[in-house]
Amino acid sequence: MHVVIINGSPRVQKFSNTDKIIQSFVKGLQASGSSYDLYSLSNRKEWDAARASFITHDQIIFALPLFVECVPSIMLEFLETLPTERQLPAQMSFILHGGFDEGHQLRLCERFLQSLPAQLGCTYGGCLVQGGSFLIRMRDDEKMKKTMTKKLDAYTKMGQSFVSNGNFMTTEAGKFTGPEKNPWIVHLLFRLFIKRIVRKNFERFAQQWGCTRPLDDKPYL
Amino acid sequence: MKTIVLNTLEEGCDSEQISTLIKGDDMEIINTSDMKIAHCMGCNLCWLKMPGICAIKDDYEGIIKKLVDAENLWLVSDTRFGFVDWRGKRVMDRIVPMLNMYVEFRDGLERHELRYHPLNFGLLYKGKADQEFLEEWSQRVASNLAGQSLGVYHIRKEGKPCM
Repeated sequence: MHVVIINGSPRVQKFSNTDKIIQSFVKGLQASGSSYDLYSLSNRKEWDAARASFITHDQIIFALPLFVECVPSIMLEFLETLPTERQLPAQMSFILHGGFDEGHQLRLCERFLQSLPAQLGCTYGGCLVQGGSFLIRMRDDEKMKKTMTKKLDAYTKMGQSFVSNGNFMTTEAGKFTGPEKNPWIVHLLFRLFIKRIVRKNFERFAQQWGCTRPLDDKPYL
Repeated sequence: MKTIVLNTLEEGCDSEQISTLIKGDDMEIINTSDMKIAHCMGCNLCWLKMPGICAIKDDYEGIIKKLVDAENLWLVSDTRFGFVDWRGKRVMDRIVPMLNMYVEFRDGLERHELRYHPLNFGLLYKGKADQEFLEEWSQRVASNLAGQSLGVYHIRKEGKPCM
């Protein structure tokens, strides 16, 4: 199987969480004997080649982060440049991720993605949905390393699964999302303890980035 | 109640038409078609390096400053693939500095804290789209901004709303 992967994130590849997810996923593809081409929409110079590959291949995966409850605007712009009819049948599948860990947050975008392939003359190959990806960028932080390595390794397994099943329409892919919403006990623990820890972590990251203002600063008041 | 209307249409609905569709005592319509606005690049600098300030220096900074004084935000957008088109989505993706990095539970879901105050959100759209989908999207956008959805309305060809 040869898979065309298009990274729909606007963030430059070097810092893209989506790219980290893709890199883990393709390890699984390669381990199962498949090959791939990767294009990143954050680099406009790759758009023509990405479009040409979309038209001439039959296995296409868009990987994207959730932006304001749906697809990032840069990816919507790219999608508008694609032909709506095609001669070669193709399957479009998706890897959708987001900062928050609740599956529910990603479901509306997933619904949009389900409706998309038919509008581009393709069939739908399912959507791999998982949140909690904000910290991927912080994986060099010692405290986050273990959790994030485990998270990314799970994508490698899904790469293998994609090759053996040919799509993400499997029980395994369905379960990949994890909880739809946090149970009440998490809400309680969050209020009591976790919130403070999370705030401290964010403040630590900000300090590493050279931030000198409070994170809840109101610069335009 | 200050209302900001972001009109992202390339053509087909001018300020006069919009002001007959959306009622507001203190309303400002901003036509974004001739403004320089880039896609949000998800750099997170507005959350972690220069809190509240977007790293992209273009015409959107003026919009953020206006939103800080507003209570209602309307998006006027064309549609594609059943959803708002990339021009409409682009001005929404750039709204991130209105929130901050901290998280809390709101309406039972993880949400970012508001940097300023709640914003209500409404949508006027042109073209063929999935009304039900847009209603849920607007609801979710409003919920992120801790505001209410002001509704989703289809602008008919002759510029009349389907209200």
